[in-house]
Amino acid sequence: MKFRKYAAIALLSLMALPAFAQDFIAGIPRNETLIIQGTPQQNADWFNVWAPGGGAAANLNGLQQLTTDTLWFINPEGGKDAWQNALASEPPSYNADFTEMTVKLRKGIFWSDGVEFTSDDVVYTVQTQIDHPGMAWSAPFTVNVASIENPDPQTVVFHLKKPNSRFHTLFTVRWNAAWIMPKHVFEKAADPLSFNNNPPVSLGPYQLQSYDKGGNWTIWKLRDDWQRTSIGLAAAQPPEVKYVVYRAAGNPEARVIEQRNHNLDVINDMAPEGMFSIMRDSKSTASWLKGFPFAHPDPTLPSVLFNTKKAPFDNKDVRWALALLIDIREVALGSYRGAANIAALATPPTGSAPDDYYAPMQDWLTNFELDTGSRKIKPYDPNISTQIANMVRSQWADQIPTDPAKLQRTFGFGWWKKDVQAATELLQKAGFKKSGRQWVKPDGTPFTIRLQVEGDAIPTLARAGTVIAQQWTQAGIATKVDVAGPTNGQRLGTGDFETAIYWSIETWGGHPDLSFFLDSYHSEFIKPVGQIQPPRNLQRWQDPRLDQIIERNRSIAFDSPDVAKLGQDFLKLAVEEMPMIPLMAYNKFAPLDTTYWTNYPSADNPYSASGPNWSNIRYMVVGLKANPDAPKP
Amino acid sequence: MNGFLIYAAKRFLQFLFVVFTGITLAFLIAHFSPVDPIEQTVSLLTSFGSTDPQAVEILRESLRELYGTGGPLLEQYFTFWGRVLTGDFGPSLSSFPTPVMTVIGRALPWTVGLLTLATIISWIIGNFLGALAGYFRSGKLLKVAGIVIMALQPIPTYIIGLSLVILFGFIWPILPISDGAQVNLAPAFSWAFIRSVIEHGILPALTLVLVGIGGWFISMRSLVSNIVTDDHVVYAELGGVRSRSIFSQYVARNAMLPQVTGLALSLGNVFGGAVIVEFVFNYPGIGKLLISGIYSGDYSLVLGVTTIAIIAVAAAVFVIDIIYPLIDPRVKLG
Repeated sequence: MKFRKYAAIALLSLMALPAFAQDFIAGIPRNETLIIQGTPQQNADWFNVWAPGGGAAANLNGLQQLTTDTLWFINPEGGKDAWQNALASEPPSYNADFTEMTVKLRKGIFWSDGVEFTSDDVVYTVQTQIDHPGMAWSAPFTVNVASIENPDPQTVVFHLKKPNSRFHTLFTVRWNAAWIMPKHVFEKAADPLSFNNNPPVSLGPYQLQSYDKGGNWTIWKLRDDWQRTSIGLAAAQPPEVKYVVYRAAGNPEARVIEQRNHNLDVINDMAPEGMFSIMRDSKSTASWLKGFPFAHPDPTLPSVLFNTKKAPFDNKDVRWALALLIDIREVALGSYRGAANIAALATPPTGSAPDDYYAPMQDWLTNFELDTGSRKIKPYDPNISTQIANMVRSQWADQIPTDPAKLQRTFGFGWWKKDVQAATELLQKAGFKKSGRQWVKPDGTPFTIRLQVEGDAIPTLARAGTVIAQQWTQAGIATKVDVAGPTNGQRLGTGDFETAIYWSIETWGGHPDLSFFLDSYHSEFIKPVGQIQPPRNLQRWQDPRLDQIIERNRSIAFDSPDVAKLGQDFLKLAVEEMPMIPLMAYNKFAPLDTTYWTNYPSADNPYSASGPNWSNIRYMVVGLKANPDAPKP
Repeated sequence: MNGFLIYAAKRFLQFLFVVFTGITLAFLIAHFSPVDPIEQTVSLLTSFGSTDPQAVEILRESLRELYGTGGPLLEQYFTFWGRVLTGDFGPSLSSFPTPVMTVIGRALPWTVGLLTLATIISWIIGNFLGALAGYFRSGKLLKVAGIVIMALQPIPTYIIGLSLVILFGFIWPILPISDGAQVNLAPAFSWAFIRSVIEHGILPALTLVLVGIGGWFISMRSLVSNIVTDDHVVYAELGGVRSRSIFSQYVARNAMLPQVTGLALSLGNVFGGAVIVEFVFNYPGIGKLLISGIYSGDYSLVLGVTTIAIIAVAAAVFVIDIIYPLIDPRVKLG
């Protein structure tokens, strides 16, 4: 009897717990708070975004999303309105030979401690970083800046060491850029590299409220003087979000549960299955695309990268043969369950790229001829994305667009037809022979491939790698998937791979200029295998024609009409040479809970990026509207 | 007494040898890791931006100098021992320039609290039920308990944790499934904070208890099953000693000694963290820190955590070795 009594008491105690669970933020009204998925901050006390230590680039506690600012932003989804002047009042102005850049700054912007922002801060930022190697933007400033002057509080003039028509991109945010330092704070620190900048003064509309020393959450509060910021000066309405919580919420399953319990408004990096399940079952979820695949396509381009410095991947016939052995429909289904935005060109089909490149180049792609050694073929199939759409239509009938133009924006344009015969001819042209079912290299050894994937960190790409490895193996090229885990970046950098599924192309998204990745594709930066290659061109592709395109692009202005034409020249060369096989845009699944907030950006209203880790998200935070039907505190 | 001192000295030398070997191995494994902390930081600082390759080279060189990760391995090894002996593991490379001990100091209390409590609870329940099941072999309730515990035993920790998350976070959402305490609640000796820590610790602790209970249960049940057939127990039964007294005085007490040893070893392991549980519940402990250190190539941090764990386990063994002769007359010295 006693046992039963104790069991009943225990059960009743448990039933009393829901009250605790629902009230999970202390002291802040939930209906004034936006909760965003963050990452654990191992170095939670550190708010110096300019020095290594967890503060830079991938920092996901709101610091660089809500409090830092710089001269310009580019909204990767913004189309014609992509360019945004932030601390600068107008776009950069260069002299004729691009050795001098003049910037005009906005008046009336103040740091959160009441000190006015002026050109002194910009000069201090550049000079301090040059003087302190190891700071985040020290190296590019050292390489580029000869001197800097500020004739008045709203003007800065950069004198460059050599012509650089893209110098302004160091201060232009797509994700991250050189943030301006508060001179009046840092000049009092003994060493800017070891100064934790805690609490940080803010140049954005929000400032630090409190944080967890264990690194699981950081809370930001709307500044009373939010109007005195670059966003505030441009705002038509006061921000309705009073508090922003960046919260590390654990593994993807926990994130989904927390959103379903309305404890996380913005989450990111779901598996497609999780996203589909939420969209099917939840009535309070918004997504970038209203219908299937609900994803946000990032302006990055997962591809099959070839290590072009390793035989036989130095032979373009082999690379093309491997491309023609891929059935992209199976890859789309296997990796994204059909929710892939496929790409035949070496630029992601996102932002302005469909208008700048994909649509205008359809005729060229359709007429592109490939010499297999035996004949000429036209490998491009403009209807493959329609076929993929039809394959998932049975499951998502009402969600799949029927309008061809909309369908192309969702599923991509065409891709290469799987053509085993053409691949056979190309391999034979390269001197390969078939021994039974197995292809043999010209030196008589079996043709086997290691296909590197990162693994669990990017499950969709790991799955794509598995499908492609199966397809190549079925065609007689034994392919082993090589899971690199945390060593992936280093192995790609040193060329310790044969083929890999990864991206070596990222773009501005909202602008046709390809310099974002292309500048570092120049042959002058290619390192021998074993030494570390700069972060782009991991395939070490080298071609004099490529160098010419890059050099020409460097010599013209960012907004020159020739930028898109040069971009097309690059894309044509990349098709001909196939140094990597572009697969698809990196679709990210980021459901948004509308229980407390509405007016999230979407494909129909792309006023901002919505990814929690994008610095562009600041424009989303101030654009949200409180849901009048939200539960009252 | 002389015999005991010689015994203690031998055991102490053994302790030093174990610590030395363990730490040396940890140092070598960490330094031969293919993950380079400099490259991790370079990757972090250059990712998602358009970066001049020349500038990347300069950045790499600057960081190498700043982090002081160069120099021959032997030199680094001696430097490392100097740090171990002074209790200073230098700056964390992934949280530069915060000292490793500061980073560990933040995480350690969470793990020690959670694991100590869970270990003791699972030890008490497992031993209690195991002793009863071994002694009262025909009890139906105990048989059912045995089946349940044996069924839970092979289930991976991750699955148990995730099941609890789904059960109590989604189907019947009554408990927090993430963090160590409520968001925006500063640590303090207040009921609000203590209650929040308890609430947030229930599911991780329950996972650890469910995982840990089986081992104690099985070993205790077999120990008791053996002891009940010993002569002194049979003699007591024949002598009419009450069953409850035989269970508590003759059986359970004799079976406890190896279990106490096991408890001490488990408590030593507390300093290594509960990696999977902390990962599943996003618990701000040392296990999660260790994984993060491994992924980022932060060998200063990895070595800090493993060194503390090695010393803790070796110390627990040493203490047990020293105490044993004093409490167990069957252990003879000399």
